[in-house]
Amino acid sequence: MKRVLKLHSIFIAQYLKRLMEYKVDFLIGATGILLSQFFQIVFIGIIFSQIPALQGWSYYEILFIYGFSLIPKGIDHLFFDNLWMVGYQIVRKGDFDKYLTRPINSLFYVIVEKFCVDALGELVMGIALLCVSIPHLSMPFYWYTIPLVLVALVFSTMIYTALKTVTAAISFWTKASGHITHMLYMTNDFSKYPVTIYNNFVRTFITYIIPFAFTAYYPACFFLTGENPLFNIGGTVIAGVVLLAIALFVWNKGVSAYESAGS
Amino acid sequence: MSMIKSFFRKYKPFTSAGFQDIVAYRANFICFLIGEIMKCFIMFFVWKAVFNSSESETFMGFSMGDMVVYIFITFLTGYLAYSDGAYAIGEEIVDGSIAMRMIKPCSFDMCFLFQEMGSNIFKICVIFVPIVLGVEIYRFALYGAIQITLSAFLLYLLSLIFAYLTSFYINVCYGFLAFFLKNLWGTGLIKQVIIDFLSGATIPLAFMPPVLRNILNFLPFSSLSYTPVMIYMGMYTGTELLYRMGMQVFWLVVIFLVSKLIWKSAVTRLCVHGG
Repeated sequence: MKRVLKLHSIFIAQYLKRLMEYKVDFLIGATGILLSQFFQIVFIGIIFSQIPALQGWSYYEILFIYGFSLIPKGIDHLFFDNLWMVGYQIVRKGDFDKYLTRPINSLFYVIVEKFCVDALGELVMGIALLCVSIPHLSMPFYWYTIPLVLVALVFSTMIYTALKTVTAAISFWTKASGHITHMLYMTNDFSKYPVTIYNNFVRTFITYIIPFAFTAYYPACFFLTGENPLFNIGGTVIAGVVLLAIALFVWNKGVSAYESAGS
Repeated sequence: MSMIKSFFRKYKPFTSAGFQDIVAYRANFICFLIGEIMKCFIMFFVWKAVFNSSESETFMGFSMGDMVVYIFITFLTGYLAYSDGAYAIGEEIVDGSIAMRMIKPCSFDMCFLFQEMGSNIFKICVIFVPIVLGVEIYRFALYGAIQITLSAFLLYLLSLIFAYLTSFYINVCYGFLAFFLKNLWGTGLIKQVIIDFLSGATIPLAFMPPVLRNILNFLPFSSLSYTPVMIYMGMYTGTELLYRMGMQVFWLVVIFLVSKLIWKSAVTRLCVHGG
């Protein structure tokens, strides 16, 4: 574990050096994300200029849930972005050979190779929204609130990463699976709003099938109301662990099924 | 007549190449489409919640039926008017491969245009009918009568064509800019986010403060999305309809001329070494 962390920091240091070369690229990426989130917030603001509450949720509660949803998404984007490339091109071009010839776990190597600073756009916006909304909310606070926030963030990030890993691993059989990752990843937008606004089908889907609701709404709901910690936080933990187990299983199966591109 | 015929014969291979290209990657295309259309459903549920929570039947002049049309037809318009066929033009000038285009007896923009038309034919086949039918069935169930009129539908199609051509030539201009901007994931994202906002695809222009609304209505971007959608909804009638479509044509001509001007000045200075 120590070796792994050390390696990870070396990789990040390398990446930061590369980044210093291309400061503008990074600024542009982060600004793009920030801007697109900003317009979404303006949109929510316009809605709330006309109605006092959205199906019982106040403006600041919605901002809190929205902001919370961006943080695990941003953490996953920051550290685990390279998984996209597996499905888009690494396997198809036969470049995955490289990862198999190194004396470290292939999944770990894929993950640490890239450190995607564009994600700061999501993280900054997420934290800003929490900072804006929290003073306006009377949230229950217990001694275990802070540890539970950390638990929720770790396991919701795990949900994102595990889903990307599973869908990326499909490419070991099909050669390319970036479009499948994209399709499932887009459902995460559903988690930005309270699940109570959706119909039963969508609600069941994002709770039990692709459990993105556990990355934002359920944990945020617990922090807002203090109710149901077992389902709201426990569900996040279980969803994260189960998906990660599936992801590792599929990835390892996939690696053994991998055939390089012959040329 | 024979000129028109030979014109189409000349560019037909580009169209079929574009068509075959997208058909070859149809699984990718369908998955991306499903991913994108999910956003419409999120907006649908958000608006449903808004109307459930609101005492009035309308939201700043839009009813729930209007909002559904707005969400899905905006998506459809944006999807069909989207153009990135010419994005690589800046790079082609930098690396000199543009020379290959110049030695062919066809104009550069028509090549891109007809190639993209091939993929657009496929897109229209796959999404146009389901979305329009879906929206109209929803409205029929809501109001008990067919809401769309034939003239609104035909005018929408015409307006959509203007929107596509404007988008195409804006993209040609942007492609030349790629010289300076480099073609990064981030620049593309910023461009798209800004155009979506200015064109009324993110937030209906009607919801914006009057000053901003008037400015955006005048700029070329509203003709990319907002104008066709409003025409579909039947919000524009009489002289206003004429004025809006006139604006579309006006901006199309302006942007077309600008792109030609950039092309001319780029070509006269172009110098490609060796091969």
